[in-house]
Amino acid sequence: MPLANPPAPTGVLTRTRAAVTATGLWRAYGSGEAQVVALRDVSVQFTAGAFTAIMGPSGSGKSTLMHCLAGLDTTDRGTVNIGETVLTGLGDKALTRLRRDKIGFIFQQFNLLPTLTAEENILLPASIAGARTDPDWLRRVIDTLDLRDRLSHKPTELSGGQQQRVACARALATRPEVVFADEPTGNLDTRAGTEVLRFLRRSVDDFGQTIVMVTHDPSAAAYADRVVFLADGQIVDELRRPTADSVIDKMRGFEQRAPIAERTAR
Amino acid sequence: MLRATLKGMASRKARLVLTSLAIVLGTMFVAAAMVLTSTMDKSLSGLVADAYEGVDGVVTPTSADAQFEEGFGSASNLIPAEALDTITAVDGVDAADGAVEGQINAIGPNGKLVGTFAPTIGFNWESNANQEFYGFQEGTEPAADDEIAVSTKFLADSGFDIGDRVTVYSYTADRAEFTIVGVFNLPGDRDSMAGETMIAFTTPAAQQLMTKGEDVYSAVYLYGDFSTDEVDQALGAGEYKVQTGQEASDELAQGLSVISSVMGYIFLGFGLIAVFVSVFLIINTFTIIVAQRQRELAVLRAMGAGRDQVVRSVLAEALIVGTIASILGLGLGLLLGWGLSLAVGEFMFSGLAVQFTVPATTLWALVVGIGVTILSAVVPAVRASRVPPVAAMREAANPPKPLRTITIAGAVVTLVGTALIALGLSDNLGGEELLGILSGVGIAFVGITLLTPIISKPLVSFLGLLMSWSFTGKLGKLNAGRNPRRTAITASALMIAVALITGIATIVSSLKATTAEALELNLDSDLIVSGLQTGANIPTFASERIDELKALDGVESVGDVYVDFMGAEVDGEGEILSSSQDLDATLKVFGGTVSEGSVTDLAADSVVIDEGTAEKNDLALGDTVEVTFSDGTTTPLRITAILDGYDLTDGWWVSPEQIEHFAIPKPMQAYIAVTDGADLLAVQADVEDVLADEPEVGVTNNAEFVEQQTSGLDTLVNAVQILLALAIIIAIIGVVNTLVLSVLERTRELGLLRAVGMTRGQAWRMITVESIIICLFGAVLGIGVGIGLGWTVQQALESEGLTNFALPWGLIVTYLLVSVVVGLLAALAPAARAAKLNVLGAIAYE
Repeated sequence: MPLANPPAPTGVLTRTRAAVTATGLWRAYGSGEAQVVALRDVSVQFTAGAFTAIMGPSGSGKSTLMHCLAGLDTTDRGTVNIGETVLTGLGDKALTRLRRDKIGFIFQQFNLLPTLTAEENILLPASIAGARTDPDWLRRVIDTLDLRDRLSHKPTELSGGQQQRVACARALATRPEVVFADEPTGNLDTRAGTEVLRFLRRSVDDFGQTIVMVTHDPSAAAYADRVVFLADGQIVDELRRPTADSVIDKMRGFEQRAPIAERTAR
Repeated sequence: MLRATLKGMASRKARLVLTSLAIVLGTMFVAAAMVLTSTMDKSLSGLVADAYEGVDGVVTPTSADAQFEEGFGSASNLIPAEALDTITAVDGVDAADGAVEGQINAIGPNGKLVGTFAPTIGFNWESNANQEFYGFQEGTEPAADDEIAVSTKFLADSGFDIGDRVTVYSYTADRAEFTIVGVFNLPGDRDSMAGETMIAFTTPAAQQLMTKGEDVYSAVYLYGDFSTDEVDQALGAGEYKVQTGQEASDELAQGLSVISSVMGYIFLGFGLIAVFVSVFLIINTFTIIVAQRQRELAVLRAMGAGRDQVVRSVLAEALIVGTIASILGLGLGLLLGWGLSLAVGEFMFSGLAVQFTVPATTLWALVVGIGVTILSAVVPAVRASRVPPVAAMREAANPPKPLRTITIAGAVVTLVGTALIALGLSDNLGGEELLGILSGVGIAFVGITLLTPIISKPLVSFLGLLMSWSFTGKLGKLNAGRNPRRTAITASALMIAVALITGIATIVSSLKATTAEALELNLDSDLIVSGLQTGANIPTFASERIDELKALDGVESVGDVYVDFMGAEVDGEGEILSSSQDLDATLKVFGGTVSEGSVTDLAADSVVIDEGTAEKNDLALGDTVEVTFSDGTTTPLRITAILDGYDLTDGWWVSPEQIEHFAIPKPMQAYIAVTDGADLLAVQADVEDVLADEPEVGVTNNAEFVEQQTSGLDTLVNAVQILLALAIIIAIIGVVNTLVLSVLERTRELGLLRAVGMTRGQAWRMITVESIIICLFGAVLGIGVGIGLGWTVQQALESEGLTNFALPWGLIVTYLLVSVVVGLLAALAPAARAAKLNVLGAIAYE
């Protein structure tokens, strides 16, 4: 069942500062015969205060791109900037700190620590950093996500959608430069997925949050301001103000082209 | 199915190595114990097998007591010289040598006794006349009565050389000087059998020293072709013990094999404790392996594998691991047994030539190792078979099992054990108190082990509070409390080891407290003259010293104690007799009081007893008892005074005139009360001067004396700690194992934490805190159980005189600190693994 079309983004296009910039990224795994090139010369910018979706068929390199952008994976060539910070060449300690202070994560699954309550999970990055969270901001995030009466619950006592909302709150709690969401609705039913996507949309619109989301679901991508299409490790197209239908149309085009691209790659 | 098992094992090498290590260590110790026992048995009996080689018959006094007494020069029961003629007259007896043997004292060049930890044995060289037992090294045989030959060990220990003059005395003979004229070795060119030193005299000199100069022998060696029965008949059937040389050797060997089997039992005990501790480790490992393989097992079940096949697959794994580990342990055990035998031979029996033997019973170690592994795997295997096929399709969320069943079982078992202990302690088990208490302790132990999961919840949270000052510490605490069963079983292994040492340490410190209280609080003396008893060497000094001590400035009074403790009897019952030159003064020093009668100027025929002894024997003032002294003298004594019941002065006190009938007619201890205001150290120095010529004793003040009396106990605790270190090592392996597996299980969580900004150092600390909490939990529990164990034993022995209960605080604190260090060490590998974790790999989905 396709999701209803999201409201048109407003005001975001006037701001053009890039929150995340990748320039000439190369990433290959393995060596020799077995080498697989996951990213080949990818350059892309993610505007601050915008919601961008990365789409592409399986194996197109979209997850690798996100991992490289988020400092979870290293690149072979090229540079990544988060705000003013150049990620390339940073050590584990600096990358860890960067992730803690400037990046928020939402994963598909295994998103919460089972030993902690919802509230403790939301505060996790701040607790690890030994920092305090702005209480007003936190209240706002929790209320927006409708988690107030779930704060003392353990993850096992929450539904999948509630868990993912807790994860969203955690990602936003430290007001990071950018939130990376990796298939955030992949494990949820349609209704819960819609709730999460609506929240992500709202956090961009209301709080000016920058969000980069990897997804293969066209209706999820339709919530974004812009969709970047990846195929065979390269950015092949992009779409502004997408709708589910326009995304599906584009995708269909790549899927027909994909086998050819694969053949030429070998 | 077997192939799947093998493939699975290959993919879990590290875990298998850890599990195997526990089995290897347990099996190793059991095997080593078997080897040690049998090797020492063989070596020691080999040592004495030729003790009577070439001797065709041995005649010794009948009573076992007489055997023992010979060292103290009692002439009763020994073989008179006339018997030699009777024996030689028997058909077939070619020759008969009378032997005089006993314990003597030789003063070394430093004024102290030669051979502090083993006795000096004296004998007459002539007893060696018809056999080539001792190998003469150099010099000449003792021919004159002031000439002696000594063993090479004697020369080595004392520093004397041939031609030197040596002062020798015994309990019954005054000092005399002898010249060393020769040196001999024991059979097999050994310098000593078990550390003892030897001196050979002429027969008259030996008799002067050891039989009060009477012409008697402690044994007669026969040569020729005769019947022992005829010798026995000739001596007056049953008057003496007549054996063939072989029989005498066998008897000696039997006595020695007791030593080796006692040592063997001790090692076996620790081996079995090690095996017991490894049971926990093995159960835990297999439980976790099964938990991790849940999906794999569910897939197998979904594909049609039967429950029994799943059980078999887990048991097959146990069989393979158990077999390999046990064989390895057996091999290492043989090596360890060999090493231990060499060490024991070298240090306990001074260079004993060890005859390495591997008894068939060693194979039991293999059975124990394999059996324990398979038995430990049964519960996890059955649990594995209950994995429903649908689990393959579900997310592996395992809600922790409810603890109700195990808790109820644990509570019931603990109650049964405690009830048994209580009944035993209150003397309600109809004569089986000790058995009841012991089995009660064992049952309670099992019960508490079953209760550990439920105890772990509050205790882990409490211990975790100490670590919760940082967020990572808090996460570590939460992880430690996550799976109470696993935490509990891991900590249980540590608990057992800690409980045993704490229990022993508690008993020892209670013993010390009891001794210290008896000596310090009640003893009205400031200085004590005594010697530390080593082996059969009972330290005494000359009675003239007492008067010299009394004459010293600053000495108020001196209490002296003479004891006759071997072979003394009252109305036919073995008793210990005491005496004092001045019982009045001695009682005062001890703090004892007289209840009835008077103890001043005891008449020769009077005896003084305490209330308790009077009651026990149904005696009253004026009654007469028949007293037999060690030298065989029997005389009626009248009770002329009764003392108030008091530990230090309870017993039988006889008049100083009877001291000459004691086995050792010399004072063993003197208690000196110093005048108020006198300089204690100055008086102590003066006393030392008086004792300058007394090689066996020294003077100590109260604190030193308590230390001296209890120092042996400390050695015991240390020895036990070293042996139990093995169990602790296994427990540590258990902690490492659990942590490694926990880290593996929580790979994704760790990945998440690292992704949202946890540094490597923080990950390391988190695992370390978890490890420390588990170890502290085990230690705290072990200390608690150990104290309970010690208390139970103390209560059970209270009537035997263990009146005080004291906790070994120093050791308890040490164990807690050690458990923290153990936690740090155990966390090293798992924490490194967690810190090195590949974040991307951890969070990427399958």
